[in-house]
Amino acid sequence: MTDATGPSPGKSGLLSFIKSPQDFFGGLALMAIAAFAYWASSDLQGMRGFTFGPGTAPRLFSALLFFLGGGIAITGLLTDGPSLQKYGVRGPFFVSLAILAFAIMIRPLGLVVTAFLSFMIAAMGSDETKWVEAAIVGACLTLFCSLLFPYALGLPLQLWPRFLIQ
Amino acid sequence: MQEILSNLALGFSVAASPVNLGLCLVGALVGTLVGVLPGIGTIATVAMLLPITFGLPPVGALIMLAGIYYGAQYGGSTTSILVNIPGEAGSVVTALDGHAMAKKGRAGPALAIAAIGSFFAGCVATVLIALLGAPLTKLALAFGPAEYFSLMVLGLIFAVVLAKGSVLKAIAMIVLGLLLSMVGSDIETGASRMAFNIPELADGLGFATVAMGLFGFAEIIRNLDAGSATNRDLVQDKVTGLMPTAKDLKESAPAIVRGTALGSILGILPGGGAVIASFAAYTLEKKISKNPRSFGHGNIRGVAGPESANNAAAQTSFIPLLTLGIPPNAVMALMVGAMTIHGIIPGPQVMQKQPELVWGMIASMWLGNLMLLIINLPLVGIWVRLLRVPYRLMFPSIVVFCAIGIYSVNNAPTDVVLAGIFGLLGYWLIKHDFEPAPLLLGMVLGPLMEENLRRAMLIARGDASVYFWRCVQPAGQRLPSGDIAALTFGDYAKGCISPMLLLLSFVLIVIAILPSIRSKRDEVFVEES
Repeated sequence: MTDATGPSPGKSGLLSFIKSPQDFFGGLALMAIAAFAYWASSDLQGMRGFTFGPGTAPRLFSALLFFLGGGIAITGLLTDGPSLQKYGVRGPFFVSLAILAFAIMIRPLGLVVTAFLSFMIAAMGSDETKWVEAAIVGACLTLFCSLLFPYALGLPLQLWPRFLIQ
Repeated sequence: MQEILSNLALGFSVAASPVNLGLCLVGALVGTLVGVLPGIGTIATVAMLLPITFGLPPVGALIMLAGIYYGAQYGGSTTSILVNIPGEAGSVVTALDGHAMAKKGRAGPALAIAAIGSFFAGCVATVLIALLGAPLTKLALAFGPAEYFSLMVLGLIFAVVLAKGSVLKAIAMIVLGLLLSMVGSDIETGASRMAFNIPELADGLGFATVAMGLFGFAEIIRNLDAGSATNRDLVQDKVTGLMPTAKDLKESAPAIVRGTALGSILGILPGGGAVIASFAAYTLEKKISKNPRSFGHGNIRGVAGPESANNAAAQTSFIPLLTLGIPPNAVMALMVGAMTIHGIIPGPQVMQKQPELVWGMIASMWLGNLMLLIINLPLVGIWVRLLRVPYRLMFPSIVVFCAIGIYSVNNAPTDVVLAGIFGLLGYWLIKHDFEPAPLLLGMVLGPLMEENLRRAMLIARGDASVYFWRCVQPAGQRLPSGDIAALTFGDYAKGCISPMLLLLSFVLIVIAILPSIRSKRDEVFVEES
């Protein structure tokens, strides 16, 4: 799965007492998620008659997650483990942007325009992209998807921009 | 016996209709096609291709999905043999000896043995499903809410124990999944939970959305990090000499049988399923071999054993899903998602009310395996060419394809954005070595568990300890008439099911945490490095 890097040599300064930053920060983040979920479900009714109300199970599981996250964080403090892995910036950014662009464009602009533009935006996520090649493949994919989804699979997708149809 | 035969006959009559046969073929082909692409595992493939089955009738959709599933698995082993990039954990061990064989110019026999082993395992597993289906369904019908809840707890614990990596982290992922499943309207009161007045969240998080985000988008982002570092050294440009020699067959036959047996057992158990089966089969082959050193250098048994186990487990994991309605692993969880979209709630009722659906799917599995065997060997050349498609062109295509797929589920742009958010969450999880598969399992089981627990509490009038006392109480108190003589052994046993299941889960988790067992468990997975 992920390439574990082993204990990093360059743990520096303030946080050097943390033996496995990957686990420690992972656990902390889970605790934060749990706390947020607990807060979000705090206004719901608890026990209702003989059985759980809507709020019981969410609060129960957030509390459980909070303690599990704490356990993971403590384990991360005490036992050796891998250091934090490096996060990419370009890939996640452009892929997310492509997804976001797709969501915004699909309603007004239709499948053809949206699919091609999202393809090109996503393609920016890699530094190996060659533009001419990407444009050709993008066009082919757009054609393929516009045939597959609305026609072969019969899904109700609008192909062309709204202002062209009207 | 009569019943089983008539069930299978019904199944084959459904599966062999031209339309379903065609869907099975298309599913297996498309599954292989996507599964072959390096870096896309089985779960991601099934999640990606889920939308293309929406327009079909339920039987056809399930047959096609099952085809996609084992096609993807077969495609995954092709990738690991030819380019040494296992698409998912299950085919990691196949890469060890399979790739070594390919380096020696014996990619053909390796691929052929993988296919033959898978086919044999598929045949055995199909019979097993047919044999166990009816009795387990009867058992399941006797289950009340308390029993169901306990069974699900046991299933989740099994998933933790049989998965690799930290027990604590796996449990945390399951709980996170359970928590995510609570988003949306409460089943009983209709109260909006953690939805923050966002109308799109009122119905809860779409299952396909989460799966595609966690497995599709997250994988893409992760693979982009690696960049050009993942060079795909295709060892053999042209795969020649597909047919294994008589010696190959003779050597691998016992390994296939052992792998099938091991895989069938591990597949039924909830949890790791195919992954642990292939690892365990490889360890077994290595242990009983007279020449353990040849493993990792192209021993054909190292391909035959794990591949058979893999496929056997993949198919027998349908048993708990079809009979009890409980998905034992993440792919089966996806199947539940697909069934729900078609308005089918998996469980014993489906087996009784829609036998043609269940048995048709079972029969189609066998047919699909046969098709894979016949089609894929001649098509290896095409798969090899697919492996050459550069990632820089593949990943934007997958992004767009997934986005269209998610959008088409509900025609909701918000779903696409949510999937993107889950993609980033999945990326973060991978970076912190959390496994997303248990999360998905928790998310599917969450609503079921909550509902059954609530019902059990209601029946017990708020005091869940009733279910523990029921087992030891004087039996007369359980019957309104107090007629002790009328109680059979079965009545006693039934009262004890849920405490026993919970006790078993507790014992399992204690065992998994014990240091000595932990090291043994890690030993099974040690081949990865």
